[in-house]
Amino acid sequence: MATNRLLLAALATAALLGAPAASWSAAFVQCPGDTDGDAVIDDPGAPELAGRDVQCQHLTGGDGFIRMGDGRELYVFGFSDVTGLPQEQVLAAGIFRTNFPAPTIRTREGQELYLTLTNVGTHQRPDLFDPHTVHYHGFPNASAIFDGLPESAIAINQGASFTYYYQNIEPGTYMYHCHVEATEHMQMGMLGNLYVEPLQNRTGYGGDPDTVAELEGGPPSAPLGYVYNDGDGSTGYDVELAVQLAGFDHDFHDASENVQPLPFAAMVDTYPMLNGRGYPDTVTPGPLPKLPESRSSDPISPQRLGATVSVTQGQRLLLRLSNLGVVRHYTLTALGLPMRVVGHGARLLRGAGQSAGANVFVDTSAVTLGGGESADVLIDTSGVAPGTYFLYTTNLNYLSNDQQDFGGMMTEIVVQ
Amino acid sequence: MERMLARARRQLVVLALALLPAAPGHAVIPGIQGPSFSLRAGATYIPTPDGDSLRIWAFGAAAAGTPLQYPGPTLIVEQGATVTITLTNNLPEPTSIVFPGQGAVTTSGGAPGLLTAEAAPSGGTVTYSFVARQPGTYLYQSGSHPELQIEMGLVGALIVRPTGFDANVPAQRTAYGHPDTAYDHEYLFLLSEMDPRIHDLVDFGHANLVDNPSAFPVLWFINGRNGIDTLSPAGAPWLPAQPYDALARTRPGEKVLLRFVGAGRDPHPFHPHGNHSRLVARDARLLGTGPGTGADLAVDDFTFTILPGATYDAIFTWTGRKLGWDIYGDPSDPAFAHDCTDAVDNQTGAATPDDLDDATAEYCPDHGKPLRVTLPGFQDVAFGGWWSGSAFLGHFGNLPPGEGGLNLNGGLFFMWHSHNEKELTNNDIFPGGMLTFVIIEPPGTAIP
Ligand SMILES: [Cu+2]
Repeated sequence: MATNRLLLAALATAALLGAPAASWSAAFVQCPGDTDGDAVIDDPGAPELAGRDVQCQHLTGGDGFIRMGDGRELYVFGFSDVTGLPQEQVLAAGIFRTNFPAPTIRTREGQELYLTLTNVGTHQRPDLFDPHTVHYHGFPNASAIFDGLPESAIAINQGASFTYYYQNIEPGTYMYHCHVEATEHMQMGMLGNLYVEPLQNRTGYGGDPDTVAELEGGPPSAPLGYVYNDGDGSTGYDVELAVQLAGFDHDFHDASENVQPLPFAAMVDTYPMLNGRGYPDTVTPGPLPKLPESRSSDPISPQRLGATVSVTQGQRLLLRLSNLGVVRHYTLTALGLPMRVVGHGARLLRGAGQSAGANVFVDTSAVTLGGGESADVLIDTSGVAPGTYFLYTTNLNYLSNDQQDFGGMMTEIVVQ
Repeated sequence: MERMLARARRQLVVLALALLPAAPGHAVIPGIQGPSFSLRAGATYIPTPDGDSLRIWAFGAAAAGTPLQYPGPTLIVEQGATVTITLTNNLPEPTSIVFPGQGAVTTSGGAPGLLTAEAAPSGGTVTYSFVARQPGTYLYQSGSHPELQIEMGLVGALIVRPTGFDANVPAQRTAYGHPDTAYDHEYLFLLSEMDPRIHDLVDFGHANLVDNPSAFPVLWFINGRNGIDTLSPAGAPWLPAQPYDALARTRPGEKVLLRFVGAGRDPHPFHPHGNHSRLVARDARLLGTGPGTGADLAVDDFTFTILPGATYDAIFTWTGRKLGWDIYGDPSDPAFAHDCTDAVDNQTGAATPDDLDDATAEYCPDHGKPLRVTLPGFQDVAFGGWWSGSAFLGHFGNLPPGEGGLNLNGGLFFMWHSHNEKELTNNDIFPGGMLTFVIIEPPGTAIP
């Protein structure tokens, strides 16, 4: 099958060379301290890195296939993570490597993110010359050049790379997606989790070194991390799960695959999902099975991200919820588990914009998110009986994988 | 030639920066001033960008020669005023107006209806009166056969100015009479949607065949316009029944008051790109713990779900703070020469630095820091029409012939839109629908 891929790459390259709208060049990574173009910092002592906290990541934008909960395979656009791959290999290796959801971007307050996006083209649709972008949704005080809006900036063409630069200064749960022909590219799957961990993980609070988060080398008695710089530990958690809501309309994907007019107006969610899968795939920890290499070249799986979690009674679970569905609002409940909303829109729920007032946390059993909204939900399992709990949408008609009932936007949280 | 033009434009902007340290002008929501209003309801058509002409029912000022409009005229009154609205009905069925959030509405004339007194079809009248006790952003809409008449377009916004409001005195230019709600510019975002099948049935005289549960909107509006008509000028002659635009403009460091009105039947998650906004009020009530506390329960967010029948006030500010690079370009390059001076707090005027330039609101700790990455070459990118060609605020870069051209001042354009992105279409055509832009204009740019 490797020859097949090479052939595809050659054909695609020829198509690109022949295209009037795009010209072929190599992937081009920009990452300080990276000496060989694989987006990994090999020289942490480089003078340009002095005093800086820098992270690099290399994504491709392209197409591929994923498998839904009822076995149907859908054509998708998407991102994949090629960090660590030599840049000269990326255009070939990126073919049909699309992941859904997109690779998670995890960064931390004070960190500078150099995010390279290489457009590897749409190989199922050689008639398309779509550029792609990254829109870091919620980035504070954004610039137009790195906002990823193709109408007000530039978008990267096939065969080329754009490196976005973000200095992350506000912790919280964000999300990212391609903004090119947004309704189409988002429906097609260019969506992912993105979150920023707070400085308090490294400093602790109240001057007590024992409160430094375990993630940053703190003691086992400390929380794994904090969601925000709360100053009092009120957003500490022991286990975390980022869960992104989305829905696909298979008619739209099939129309795209078959070069048909795209049904924007008729769009409905026939496959409501959590982290790119419908129940019962949601309870498979980690990657779903690989697809045939003619459908997905990802060496692990095009659907790598799990959507289930297991906690020990007494632990605090953080759900980083975001909705990047393009059709509708969804309400999620975690039946039997207490949900405390401590953050919304990448901000601590504290009055006067978290600078001054009292906490305005919300204890609830249901959280509603429209497209582009995020919420940080803490679940304290002290006193919760061990067992399996469902996290699911109370829009009950979305608990299906198309015609297959008892599926869709639902997963399990296990308390041990 | 292109390069020379670009240079000339750059120099013009530099000149403008030098000449206009004070920012002139403040955007004000257009509307009609009370406290007494004379409105009519009738039928008209609006063009939609998919090429359709849609039958709507709409309010308009009753004065002769004034067109019906969607949404209805924005009614602007002062807190404490006794507001009187007389409605004349030119529709084929009874109609009325309800005022969510107003107490003790009295009526005179008309005939009793389910929710309020109604004006009879074909010329009947009714008068409503109430005291506008609380400032804020309100909705008004039909209270008769509302499941059809609101879809048909009988909606509008009502703004109650707080006691002591003065648009020309910054300290008194507030939404709720408290400094937490002070602003430099205000814009209305009245969100709605339509299902053309319903409008066609009404147009053909079959209103009785409308099946509300099967309503399936495929057109989405801000202030009565579909994108990108939202960007056409207010009062554009080619949109005679849609006089309100939805393009927001501001300068760095200024406060933009966003007045959201959920005027349709569906919730819409509205996402202003560019920065978080601070939600200071909901349904015309300040988000505070009590009298005098201000908006101490306000929260910042990047997406606001606008529910049908609800209103929201949020304040947006953009400075480019902590981008990690100089948004005005390399100050050692003569074409980008600028300095950063911070002696006072821009908000309070006190002699305490706030890291922001006192005139331009540039974030001084980033002054002179380079743009960290090299941008791709022309052949590798697709260009947006609102792209200036430069990453730097107030500047133009070279662009290939035919690219860009819609960005007049070298501003930063950010899309403000529904994030249920299906709604960025006009009856199956992308782009359009519930989208508009804010322009972060260079300091000194005149607004409006
Ligand atoms: Cu894309």
